[in-house]
Amino acid sequence: MKQVFRLFSFKAEGLVEKDVSSLNVLRRLPAYRNSWSILSLIIVILILVPNVTILFNFFTNKAENWDHITEYILPDLLKNTSLLIVFTGLLTIIIGTSLAWLISAYDFPMKRFFKWALILPLAIPPYIAGYTYNGILNYTGVIQTTLRNTWGIEVDQKYFDILNLPGAVFIFTLFLYPYVYTITRAFLANQSASLIENARLLGGSPLEVFFRVVLPISRGAVVGGVSLVLLEVLNDYGVVQYFGVPTFSTAIFQTWFGMNDLNSAIKLSATLMFIVFSILILEKLLRGRKKYASTTAKARPLRAVQLSRGRGWAVFSYCLIIFMLGFLIPLIQLVDWMFLTFEKVASPEFLTLIWNSLFVSLAGALLIVLFAVIIGNFARTHQSRLSKSAAKVTILGYSIPGAVIAVGISTVFIELDSGLSRFYESTGMESRLFLSTSLVILISSYIIRFLAIGYNSVESGFDKIGNKYTEASRMLGMNMTKTFFKVDVRMLRAPLISGFLLAFIEIIKELPLTLILRPFNFGTLSTNAFKYAGDEQIHEAALSSLIIVVISAAAVFIFHQVLEKESN
Amino acid sequence: MYVEIKDLCFGYTNAKERTVRDFNLEIEQGEIISILGESGSGKSTVLRLLCGLEIPEKGTIHIAGRTMTDERTFVAPEKRGIGIVFQDYALFPHMTVYENVKFGLKAWKRKDRSRRVQEVLELVNMGDFSKRYPHELSGGQQQRIALARSLAPAPELLLLDEPFSNLDADLQVKIRNELKAILKKTGTTCIFVTHDREDSRALADRMVTMRDGASYDWDSLCTTREEESQKPELVRLK
Repeated sequence: MKQVFRLFSFKAEGLVEKDVSSLNVLRRLPAYRNSWSILSLIIVILILVPNVTILFNFFTNKAENWDHITEYILPDLLKNTSLLIVFTGLLTIIIGTSLAWLISAYDFPMKRFFKWALILPLAIPPYIAGYTYNGILNYTGVIQTTLRNTWGIEVDQKYFDILNLPGAVFIFTLFLYPYVYTITRAFLANQSASLIENARLLGGSPLEVFFRVVLPISRGAVVGGVSLVLLEVLNDYGVVQYFGVPTFSTAIFQTWFGMNDLNSAIKLSATLMFIVFSILILEKLLRGRKKYASTTAKARPLRAVQLSRGRGWAVFSYCLIIFMLGFLIPLIQLVDWMFLTFEKVASPEFLTLIWNSLFVSLAGALLIVLFAVIIGNFARTHQSRLSKSAAKVTILGYSIPGAVIAVGISTVFIELDSGLSRFYESTGMESRLFLSTSLVILISSYIIRFLAIGYNSVESGFDKIGNKYTEASRMLGMNMTKTFFKVDVRMLRAPLISGFLLAFIEIIKELPLTLILRPFNFGTLSTNAFKYAGDEQIHEAALSSLIIVVISAAAVFIFHQVLEKESN
Repeated sequence: MYVEIKDLCFGYTNAKERTVRDFNLEIEQGEIISILGESGSGKSTVLRLLCGLEIPEKGTIHIAGRTMTDERTFVAPEKRGIGIVFQDYALFPHMTVYENVKFGLKAWKRKDRSRRVQEVLELVNMGDFSKRYPHELSGGQQQRIALARSLAPAPELLLLDEPFSNLDADLQVKIRNELKAILKKTGTTCIFVTHDREDSRALADRMVTMRDGASYDWDSLCTTREEESQKPELVRLK
């Protein structure tokens, strides 16, 4: 009898199972009915809409110039973009991993200084670096003038012209390698000690150890770093425009504003988005299942080996050269130009620029942290597919180039405005494009693009405190919102501040979005620097650039200190 | 029955098999029940389901005449009136002992709050420690504070998740006896999960053994053991 009953219950189980899984969604619904999940979903939709619009329009809308573009322009764009990606990728890998390995594995003069100083090139936005180097190297620049006036040497201009594709690669490499360097170094310092020490004990020569052990095990970190570099390259507008290397960003600007053909701009954007997605998929494949965090809890730091005198100084020189090229030389040049033009540039209007920059950066960064916290809290309290995809979407924006986001968000806002036109008329407003010409569109675009930065920081903070305090608080009768203010925020202070700072820096440096979406007659430090540089007034661009560089460098320094403190 | 759990089923999103499968249990008011099982048997998950920290796929939970979960209802954790002591206590590190214990008293009248805090602190013999921060306390002291904190709002049901696992052996026996005295004194209905048969025997009025929730073997799904007879006996047959 019991046997029979068991058999029966087994069958019944199988039947019930299916019913339950569909019912399950309904059962879980009440738990989603709170302001946190609703707000999160709204934010996610706001982020998705512009991007989906682009992909959607790619297949539907006809564009007048699209045939012309695919025939005459697209091949060039693809060629330039691939060359930039391949060479910048290779060179940043070489410089980034070699520096990371030398700093983690060896002791040499001034190593402690280089450890963070080698991150500093990240504080100089590539477009500022680009026109600064052009200013140093061109006919009226410091090198050629000195050669001419002191030794009377006239040089062949072709050796000093960097306004071309190799020049752009040079700039991207020098000012973006820190992405590879920092991620790889963090990996090597914390995760690899036993493997590398074993390889050393087994008698591998330093070069053998590097190529046969270090590079393979840090593959995940290197791929992670280099894909960030490539996304930055695809995002860039300033360098390629100034250097005259047509890429997707410049083509989007040109079709949109030069040819007044938004539909072609959308199609170009979609094409660029496909390239971005291929890079992201490639990254996944190359990284395999290896994340660049070790699974074992006890990670021992790698012990550095003292280098002999000669070798020590050789490594020192290598680091010094990269540091000088990537930070010191452009910085000194900017300071020099700043003194030359300070009186001309510094004016009440300039104060407005500073104020504008600070205002959009502060507003953007605050909203980013706020949104990041809302989604982060939603994602960790509702462990479900929905919340996980919300988190993924949040990060999506960071990989999409600024020009593409600008196209998408403009399309959406213009639609919005035409939908609201009745409302505008009834309130007697003159502008038919109120939203699309206001700061709302600019700040929204910053949020879409940089939400990932705030989110990563907030998420790691949530990971660290875990769910137990929140659960304890809820079991003591506090609801999610009260818990959040009484418990979570107090413990999240550090990650909130760092997320805010990082987002702030990114916004203050940002160029393509700001150029396209700013209201009429609204300038920021970055657009001002770019405008001066574009008008052949490189010296006048120095003050704006310096302010950006100094703020960013200070933040990089603070960051390094915070990270060091945490790892100790 | 004071607590009634019927046909409870639950599986974590990533797990292939359900962690809790057709779990049934009835408890009378003032009873101390222990759920005994090896790690991975799903016993802590049952507590989380009772709290409302996880949502069951199927089944119902009634506590003190209120429906906490069924097909249509889901009462949020903060509205269930359940107290829980977590395995690692989860004392708020940025609050003093006093603030920790007072945290759950927001429904109480303002003037009664500090009296209540002092009362439960005395109950766990920690009356002099109200100004300390959690990190300034030993493991055993933290455990008492966590207990005091969950007792303070006078919960209808108290849950203890492996309450002794972080204590060393001597302390374990001492606190075990004290705990039983406190629970009986306050008349609290209590469920605690443990993997230690000794703990179970010393503290509980009734034991429930849980094994591999995915098993189809009815006898081991959910059985009570009377302490005296030590004979397995089915809780409920369908």
